[in-house]
Amino acid sequence: MSVTPDIEVPKAPPGFLRRLVRSPSGAIGLIIVLLLIFCALFADVLAPYDPNKMGSGGRFLPPSGDYPLGTDEFGRDMLSRILFGSRITLIVGAVAVGISLTIGMAVGMIAAFRRGWVEAILMRGTDVLFSFTETLIALSFVAVLGPSLQNAIIAVGVAGIPFYARTCYSAALVETSKPYFEASIAAGARPTRLVLVHLLPNVMPTMIVVATLGVSTAILAAAGLSFLGLGAQPPTSEWGYMLAGSRDYINRAPWLMTIPGIAIAITVLGFNLLGDGLRTSLDPVERK
Amino acid sequence: MWRFLSTRILMGALTIWITTVLVTLLIHAVPGDPVQIMYAQSQGTTPEQIEEVRRSLGLDRPIPVQYAMFMERLVQGDLGNTIRGGQPVLDVIMQRLPNTLVLACAAMFIAVLIGVPIGFLAAYRKGSLTDITLMIIAIAGISMPHFWLGLMLLFYFAVELGWLPVSGNGWLNLVLPALTLGLSNAAIFARLTRSSMIDVMNQDYVQTALAKGLPKALVLRRHVLRAGLLPVVTMMGLQFAFMMGGAIVVENIFSWNGVGRMAVEAIFQRDYPIIQGFILTFSVVVVLVAITIDALYAVLDPRIRRS
Repeated sequence: MSVTPDIEVPKAPPGFLRRLVRSPSGAIGLIIVLLLIFCALFADVLAPYDPNKMGSGGRFLPPSGDYPLGTDEFGRDMLSRILFGSRITLIVGAVAVGISLTIGMAVGMIAAFRRGWVEAILMRGTDVLFSFTETLIALSFVAVLGPSLQNAIIAVGVAGIPFYARTCYSAALVETSKPYFEASIAAGARPTRLVLVHLLPNVMPTMIVVATLGVSTAILAAAGLSFLGLGAQPPTSEWGYMLAGSRDYINRAPWLMTIPGIAIAITVLGFNLLGDGLRTSLDPVERK
Repeated sequence: MWRFLSTRILMGALTIWITTVLVTLLIHAVPGDPVQIMYAQSQGTTPEQIEEVRRSLGLDRPIPVQYAMFMERLVQGDLGNTIRGGQPVLDVIMQRLPNTLVLACAAMFIAVLIGVPIGFLAAYRKGSLTDITLMIIAIAGISMPHFWLGLMLLFYFAVELGWLPVSGNGWLNLVLPALTLGLSNAAIFARLTRSSMIDVMNQDYVQTALAKGLPKALVLRRHVLRAGLLPVVTMMGLQFAFMMGGAIVVENIFSWNGVGRMAVEAIFQRDYPIIQGFILTFSVVVVLVAITIDALYAVLDPRIRRS
C-alpha cells in the first residue's frame, strides 16, 4: 500500500450516486469495473474455447479471426484464458480485501472504542506490523504456507490488515469524540448499540473508499506473487502467472506479454478510478 | 527533537525484536515437518541425517530454548548456515544486500527526480489541461504492474533495440531495473507532491504573501516549496520500504543478484535459514531507513525540532 488516501470522509451525502457518475474518474472506473464483473460472471458463455484445452489450433498463433488474442505456448486460446482470468482476479481482489477489511475494521473500531491498554496494544501492534511492510508479510506467509493461489490470497489479505486497521481507527476516533456519540453514552446506550448503530455506519464511507482502492493494491500484489511463481500454479489462467510464462517467448510471441499486462493494468486502473471517484463524491471539501 | 527521535528509535527496536520472535516461530508454523520438507527434494537423505539436521537447527528443543539459542547466535552475528551449500547465511545475504540497496536508491532517485517536479507543476497549474493530463498519466502509472513495465522495458530496450544488456550486474544493467522501479513510484510521488503543494497554497500565510503583492515565484520558492515538501520526505521512508519489496520482483525479471532474488529462490527450495535471515535483514533495513527519514524530518521541520 503506497497511496494513503485522505481519510476524513463523512456520511454519504444526498445525491452521491449522481455525483459519482458525473465525475469523469468515477464514471470511467464504474464502467470498467462493471465490464469486468460481466466478463467474470459470463466467462463460460463469452469464451470461445476451453481456457485449458491445449493445441486445438496450433501454438504461438498471432491474433487472428479465429483466435482474436492469439494462442500461447501450448496452443491455448488467449482470449478465453483472459476471460477466465478476470474471474480469478476479481475473486482474489474480493477475498483478500474481505480479509483485510473485516479484521482491520474490527481491530480499528475496538481500539477506538475501548481505549486504554486495549487501544495501546492493538495500535502499537499495528504500527509494528505496518513497518514490516505488506510485501514482507505476504512473502513470509507464502514462505510458511507454500506457493499456491489460495495461500497468496490469504497472504495478501493478512498483509493488508495493518493499513485497514489504522485507517478505521482514525476514522472511528473522530466519530467517538463527536457530541452525539458522547450524548448517546450519557443516554445509556449499550456498547453493541454504540458500535453497530453509531460507529459502523459512520466509518463505512471511509472504509468503502479505502477498500475500493485496496482492491487494486491486492490484485497487483497477488499478481506479483503469481508472477514470481509463488501464487497461482499451472495451468491456472491467472494473469500474473501468464505474464511470467511469456518471458521465455518474448521474441516469438510478444502478444503473450502485452495482453495479460494490459488486462491487469485496466483492472487496477478501473478500481483506482472508481475509488478516486467515490472519494471525491463523498468528500464535501473536494466536492467544491 | 530528542524525545521525538528516541520514541522512533524505541519503536524501531521493538519492531526488530518482534521480528526475531516471529522468525523463530516461522519454522514451526510450516504445516508438516519442516526438516522433511526442506529435504524432500534432495535424494538419499537418511533418517539419521534428518535427525542430525533437526538437532543442529535446535528444532528438538522447547521453543523458548530455541529462541534463546537463536538470539545467542544472532548477537555473535551468526544467522546459521544455508540448507543447500551450507554457507553462512549472513555471508550470503551481505554479498547481495549492497546490490538491492543500490537498486532501491537508484530507483528512489529516479522517482523523486521525475515525480516531485511533475507534482509541483500540476499543483501550480491546478485545474488546467496540464494538471489533468499529468494526473491521468500518474494514475495510469500507479495502475501499471511494475513487473509488466519491467518486461516491456526489457523487451524494447534490451531485446528489440539491443541498447542495454538483458541481465547481469554491471552499471549498465542497473538502468532498466532502476527505471522500472523508479517510474512506477514516480507516479506516487507526483500525486502526493501535488496534493501536498495544493494544501500549502491554500494556507492563509501563502494567501497573505500573495495578497501583499509578492511575486508568485518568490512565494512558491520561499513559502510553498519547503512546507509542501515535508510530507514528501515522510513519504520517502515508506516508499523506500515499498521499493525494497518491489525489488524482489524486479530483481527476478532482470536477474539482478540481490536479496530479493535470493529470497524467492529460498522459498522455492524451502531453505528456511535464508528466509529467516532475509526477513530479519529486510526489517532492519526498513527500520534504519525509517529512523533516518524521521531524523531528516526533524531537521527540516522547526516545529518538531523545537518540541
